[in-house]
Order: sequence, then C-alpha cells, then structure tokens
Amino acid sequence: MTLECHSDHCITCADEGTPMTVLRIDEDRMLALCADDEGEKSSIEIALVDVRAGDSVLVHAGVALTRLDAGSADLGGAQPR
Amino acid sequence: MRFVDEFRDAQLGQVLATEILGAVEAGRHYKVMEVCGGHTHSIYKYGVDDLLPANVELVHGPGCPVCVIPMGRVDDGIAIAEEPGVIFTCFGDMMRVPGSRGSLLEAKARGADIRMVYSPLDALRIAKQNPEREVVFFAIGFETTAPSTALTVKRARAEGVRNFSCMCNHVTIVPPLRALLDSPDLRLDGFIGPGHVSTVVGARPFEFIPADYGKPVVIAGFEPLDILHAIRMILAQLSDGRCEVENQYKRVVPWEGNPRALEAMAEVFELRPHFEWRGLGFISQSGLKLSDAYAEQDAELRFSVPGVRVADPKACQCGEVLKGVIKPWECKVFGTACTPERPIGTCMVSSEGACAAYYNFGRFAREKEVV
Repeated sequence: MTLECHSDHCITCADEGTPMTVLRIDEDRMLALCADDEGEKSSIEIALVDVRAGDSVLVHAGVALTRLDAGSADLGGAQPR
Repeated sequence: MRFVDEFRDAQLGQVLATEILGAVEAGRHYKVMEVCGGHTHSIYKYGVDDLLPANVELVHGPGCPVCVIPMGRVDDGIAIAEEPGVIFTCFGDMMRVPGSRGSLLEAKARGADIRMVYSPLDALRIAKQNPEREVVFFAIGFETTAPSTALTVKRARAEGVRNFSCMCNHVTIVPPLRALLDSPDLRLDGFIGPGHVSTVVGARPFEFIPADYGKPVVIAGFEPLDILHAIRMILAQLSDGRCEVENQYKRVVPWEGNPRALEAMAEVFELRPHFEWRGLGFISQSGLKLSDAYAEQDAELRFSVPGVRVADPKACQCGEVLKGVIKPWECKVFGTACTPERPIGTCMVSSEGACAAYYNFGRFAREKEVV
C-alpha cells in the first residue's frame, strides 16, 4: 500500500472533490456504489444528498457532498465547451 | 472527465486572462488571497499565476488543514498510536507531518500499527474487521471533511461498533480568516473563497468579510478557468466599488450550503474554546471536538494524551507563509533543509501546502511585466 494519496491532491486538504457516478443504492445503509471517471468503484455515504442511480455526485472523503448539475456552468462571457 | 475538462480549456483561459488584463488599473497593486490549499495547488499546477499581470498578486491562505496542525497534536496522535492494541488510522499526508519526536510514519517504522485510509468509513471498516483491537481515526480537515467524520461517528454508534473512536482535529474556516483580517501586517484586496467548504457551509458565513472589512469574496471552483473567472469577478467588484460575496462555483455550491451536513456536524461536534493553529497561534472557537453526547467515542478521553504545546522549529517560517507575509521561496530553509521528502514545516508536507506547490511546480521569484 502506498502512503501517498492516489491523486495529486491531498484528501485532507480538503478541498478535494471527485465527480463520481452513482451505480447502485443501498437505501437501508445510506450507501451507494459509485464509480469515478476511470471506472474505479467505491462505497460512498449518501446521507447528505438525494440521489438516484445515474446521478453525478461530488465526493469528498467517502461522502457525497452535493449532486452535480451539468446545466449550471457559468463563466460569464467565456463559456466552457 | 465531465465537469472537469471543460474548465481547463486553454483558449478560454486566454480570453479570461485578457479580460483580467483589461480590468486592472495601471499603477495599482492587487493582493488577492486564495483561502484554500486546493486553489494554491491548482494555481501552480496549471500555471494560472503566469496568466496574470504582475500587479495582481496571489497570496496563499491558511486553508490547508495539514499545514496548520501544530506539532503538539501530532505528538498526541503518536502517543495514542503507540498504546498497546491500537490501530491508528489517518489520511496519507498527515503521516509525514513532523511532531517533536518525528512523524506518524516514523512511529509506524518503530512498530506502531498506523494505517492510511481514504475516508473515515475505511477506518470504521477496519474497526469492524478487528473487534479485539481499538481503532482510532485521526480526524482532520475543514468543514468539507467534518461531515464525513460526523456521519461515521454516528454510523459507528448506530451499528454498535464500540472499538472505534476519533481524535478530532477539525477546524473551522471563519475564525482564522477573521484573525488574518485583523492582522496589521497584511493588506488584502479580496478573497477567492473556498469552494468545497462552501458546499457544506454555504456562502452566508463569508458575508462578514464585505460587511465588516469591506473586501470582496468570490467563492470559486478548483479548475484553472474557475480561478481565473473568480479573479476577474473580484477585479470587477473592485473597479465598480462594490464588495459582496459572489458565488462563481454555482454548479457545486448552493448559497445555503448543505443543511443535512450542518445538522450532522451540530449533533456530533461542539466548538472548543480555543485551538492552536500552526503559525497563527491560538484562535478562539476555531476547532471542533466531539460533543458530550458522543464523548464515549472521543479518543482523547478514551486514551491518555500528553497535550503538551510544542513550539515550531526556529528555522521554519510556515507561520509567515500561512499569513501570506512571505512567499514560500523567501523562507530560509525552502528547498534546502526543507523539502517534500524531508519536510521541516507542514507547508512542505501536503501537496496543497504553499511551499510544496512552489517546490513541485518550480515556481520561484520571476520577473513579470507590470501594467
């Protein structure tokens, strides 16, 4: 096991957030199986957000903090493609 | 990657950089603090700094929890980790932070069972797999990470996992910002607000900055275009004579934050009267501990900890770096005695630390064109 964080971010320093897709939900335990962009799966706590399979969520330290909404990107005059 | 790649577009970056150049007043020097270590990391990783005119200076704030943990807390963690039968768990970067008797990594080398986890849930899993052992999670982080700890502590209780406890080092972002704003040696024009902390606390807690100190705040995402956009928004406020809290990161940050996360935190934690910050000293009501209702899961009550305050190493100037008074490369030991491999100061430990960001991405003093 490596002692470094996988990504080039430090998890602790917090402000790391990974977009993940919800694959399956265990309602009883408030956990969801989620996959990141590279397909790596992990169990994510979903007590803080209402999600359904297929939703994108922002995950920090094993917890989905918010649901990602593709429609709300706004850079003023400069628009992302 | 969706939600990410579109905010790294180089052409749009140039558009924003040109707009920033057009927004600065000739002869005026702008000092903008990015509060969060995640922003510092992105700024140097993507070269955002190189797109800015020389009179827009970015000052790196205290928003890296690893960087602000004092040595005494590391010593306390090691004392618990060295108790017989304990499995001590923490995030990766925390393991290399030096205490007065070395780091958690060195304690592990001496035989302590210290394991890296990616979330408190991982630590809880280890507790369930090892019911005969005491499993302690070293909780650290701002309001982004605190809900994760709160939910895990609640889950441990709900599932009857009695061998799991938590050494709480969570801190809150507003008190150090107020301390910085009250600091006489720092003149700032505006703040890039912390994106993911705001996902939890919302934008409202930052309203004191324009209201009491007359400075603009723009909560920003972590991609290069987010940061450039936030700087442009701050400059627009300054040139319009406005100061308010604006949310650049609307795709993630709701104005009111996440009420469920705040509720979980309020149930599980309470404010400490004061907490020591490396380089900033004691700041009142800036740290969290487990509330009385969850005291039985408090590792500091379950085990004896030395609780001794340890002064920072004399050569280390992390305090000045954290306050933005000096740039990392101006520290006496930067890149010589203090490197990411053998850090003296915490700012060199975490990849989000200002010193590590400068060191890893080769950012030293450079001449830039002044507008």
